[in-house]
Amino acid sequence: MNKLVIADPGRCIGCRTCELACALAHSAPDALTTLSPASFIPRLKVVKTATVSTPVQCRQCDDAPCVAVCPTGTLVMGDHSVQVIPSRCIGCKSCMIACRFGVIEVLPCEMNLSDRQPFGTTHVEAVKCDLCESRGAGPACVEVCPTKALYIVDSVVLAQAALKRREHSAAMLVIGGSDGYMSHTGG
Amino acid sequence: MAEKVLTVCPYCGSGCKLNLLVENGSIIGAEPAHGVTNEGELCLKGYYGWDFLNDTKLLTPRLKKPLLREHRRDDFKEVSWDEAIDFAATRLMEIKQKYGADSIMMTGSSRGPGNEANYVMQKFARAVVGTNNLDCCARVCHAPSVAGLQATLGNGAMSNSICEIEDTKCILVFGYNAADSHPIVARRIIKAKEKGATIIVCDPRFIETARIADLYLPIRNGSNMAIVNAFANVLIEEELYDKDYVTRYTEGFEQYKAVVAKYTPEYVEKIAGVPAAQIRQAMRIYAAAPTAAILWGMGVTQWGQGVNVVKSLSGLALLTGNLGHPNCGVGPVRGQNNVQGACDVGVLPNSFPGYQKVSDPAARAKFAKAWGVPDLPANVGYCLTEVPHLVEQGKLKAYYIFGEDPAQSEPDLAGFREAMRNLDLVIVQDIFMNKTAMFADVIFPATSWGEHEGIYSSADRGFQRFNKAIEPKGDVKPDWEIISLMATAMGYPMKYNNTEEIWNELRELCPIFYGATYEKMEGLGYVQWPCPTEDHPGTTYLYKDNKFDTASGKGLLIAADWIPPHEPTDEEFPLVLCTVREVGHYSARTMTGNCRALTTLADEPGYVQINRADARKYGVEDQKLLWISSRRGKVVVRALVTDRANEGAVYMTYQWWIGACNELTGGHHDPVSRTPEYKYTAVKLERIGNQAEAESRLLKEYDELRASLAAAVG
Repeated sequence: MNKLVIADPGRCIGCRTCELACALAHSAPDALTTLSPASFIPRLKVVKTATVSTPVQCRQCDDAPCVAVCPTGTLVMGDHSVQVIPSRCIGCKSCMIACRFGVIEVLPCEMNLSDRQPFGTTHVEAVKCDLCESRGAGPACVEVCPTKALYIVDSVVLAQAALKRREHSAAMLVIGGSDGYMSHTGG
Repeated sequence: MAEKVLTVCPYCGSGCKLNLLVENGSIIGAEPAHGVTNEGELCLKGYYGWDFLNDTKLLTPRLKKPLLREHRRDDFKEVSWDEAIDFAATRLMEIKQKYGADSIMMTGSSRGPGNEANYVMQKFARAVVGTNNLDCCARVCHAPSVAGLQATLGNGAMSNSICEIEDTKCILVFGYNAADSHPIVARRIIKAKEKGATIIVCDPRFIETARIADLYLPIRNGSNMAIVNAFANVLIEEELYDKDYVTRYTEGFEQYKAVVAKYTPEYVEKIAGVPAAQIRQAMRIYAAAPTAAILWGMGVTQWGQGVNVVKSLSGLALLTGNLGHPNCGVGPVRGQNNVQGACDVGVLPNSFPGYQKVSDPAARAKFAKAWGVPDLPANVGYCLTEVPHLVEQGKLKAYYIFGEDPAQSEPDLAGFREAMRNLDLVIVQDIFMNKTAMFADVIFPATSWGEHEGIYSSADRGFQRFNKAIEPKGDVKPDWEIISLMATAMGYPMKYNNTEEIWNELRELCPIFYGATYEKMEGLGYVQWPCPTEDHPGTTYLYKDNKFDTASGKGLLIAADWIPPHEPTDEEFPLVLCTVREVGHYSARTMTGNCRALTTLADEPGYVQINRADARKYGVEDQKLLWISSRRGKVVVRALVTDRANEGAVYMTYQWWIGACNELTGGHHDPVSRTPEYKYTAVKLERIGNQAEAESRLLKEYDELRASLAAAVG
């Protein structure tokens, strides 16, 4: 099962520290001294609606529509996440159209980031959360979030959460006791 | 391998400890340390707010040489320190001779310089110049909290600690947007919620904390006093207050009760626009909680009657016995990293270091003796916000501005600029060329945070040491050294070898700070005052055993009637402008505006937040540039259409130099604290038809602004 990074909107304060950490984690080491609005490409974006603040990023779908529709094999299933092989991207935007969460972008990129000569003159690249695969310490956004709103979800976390919820469900049944509707319908 | 230098973040008052990573004499990064308040967390300013030290010139250049000009029409020229000090000292002495010491005004700096430099500045004002005309930007932020709480409880600071917030059972958040002002305090509020606390939020805007609130009261802008009186009314009329506590530990109940009697929730419903039932519910929750804390910010203080509201908020805590024990109390969360400190060390027109009053003959005698002068001025000095009026009256002739940028942060900037032009002498001491320095006669370049060491006071009275990480570039000096040179040139020999020497002089004179030694603050050491002896651990919460620092030892219940905002909206100016904070930028923006990552996230001209219905009504489109104007000025700004802003009000952050909201704000202020009513200005919006032209005009104006600042330093 794939892993993913997700945020608890109850903890998010909309500060965008995660966006900066993400953009810098996917840039050259000296990016902090060269960053500009043009080169600022966070793979997660803080969304603030009337009632919710939260970063939104790739869910790393196990049956990923983006992987399915990509005609060039740019989007591939990695060990525990959906990964991008930038040199294969032709900028057809199929992945953007297929993505249910709006978390893939196709952006122009600099020549030196791609190891392939383009067919034409435009270098493009599909950009999405890669769980900071090449970063030893794991996802940068999770590390910097000052309120610990961001966390990694894997099969262990999901199993623990499910167990907790089952326990909660069980407790509800006990509280229901002899008035529980099952006993009534049974009798 | 980078060397780690442990220091304190220079931005908000949360007091986050961090390590600067230094390689080959340059900072290459910052990482959180496990400080008492931040526990290994930082916000974006802590992580990415240090590269201004590299003189990036994104907004304005660092000052690297003393600058001087004989006439304001001239360009600045680089001079030696001797020449700059001699010029400033001679001119200051001439002005003192001709017009008297009280014709001279000084500021402290609530920001990077630290407590020692501020101590030296107030000593310079009082012992060398001979005036109490000395103030800091607390005046424009939490001065009402200091004045209000000193009157009711005897101490102007947070009664509780940042760490205690998460263990309280109820938090009443009033006019305080922690998410943008203090992310690290916001974290404690979230933790409190997760530990089961009930959160009540009073704010006209649907702020981040409102999202997690159990009860949100969307109060109308300008109704604070009415709503707090209604709270008190409910506590008394529904007999929710702690009668025993009130009898034993407070004074003034009958009078207080009489004032709030008419403010029934049903009456206030019409003023505040909040259902009476919600007002009652808020107080039923607050009174029932085993521990409850009130947190407030500029939404309470930046008003014409901020002091009254502060007094009444402390009244709610007194009525319910929420003082004198852990995890409760009153929390005016201080904004700037060392605004608590500047007040602590006497950069106020009415108090010496350690809140000892200048009006007290014994205190004057003590300080005069320590400083080796025959006497010290007894009259309370001028406030920062009185400067324009005093210049106009001819009472003020010279202004020595240290580490502040009033030409960005004061209200009615056009009026302020006029005052600056009419001063005989303007001395600016700063790390950056800023809007204020453009009016200077002489500029002293100082070392920055990161280039010097000292002590900051965080918002909850916590003293912490910050350290030097890199060598300063250019012909710059630490602030305390510059002020010492000025003192010496003016005939008062002053010399310190280091900040510890200054700190030790200060703590000897301040009984409540005496036990806070440098040694104790080594590493992650955190000493909250009062700390009277060297073996004292410091004080996490004030008023233990319900003993208040008032004359009688009791808490005073003081209420006042609601006064409507000073400048009502009308047909021409139909919207209320309320000025607020930008999470990724700080204060007048000289520091964060020169940080690349932070500037990438947010840059000129900034946003005006406007409700969707108002946007429709005034033809405003999201992300488009528009004009916003008041009776005093007009600026360009970008629209952010959001349902979080309430109808009838718009919000601008005060960090922008082009979209400068203080061109619009007015000078009306609180009669006691002299804090301006930044939160209520009548404004109007005008669409701009040709957006492309407006965008290019904005870029041009920004380029010209930067070019003029750069040209000024040569």
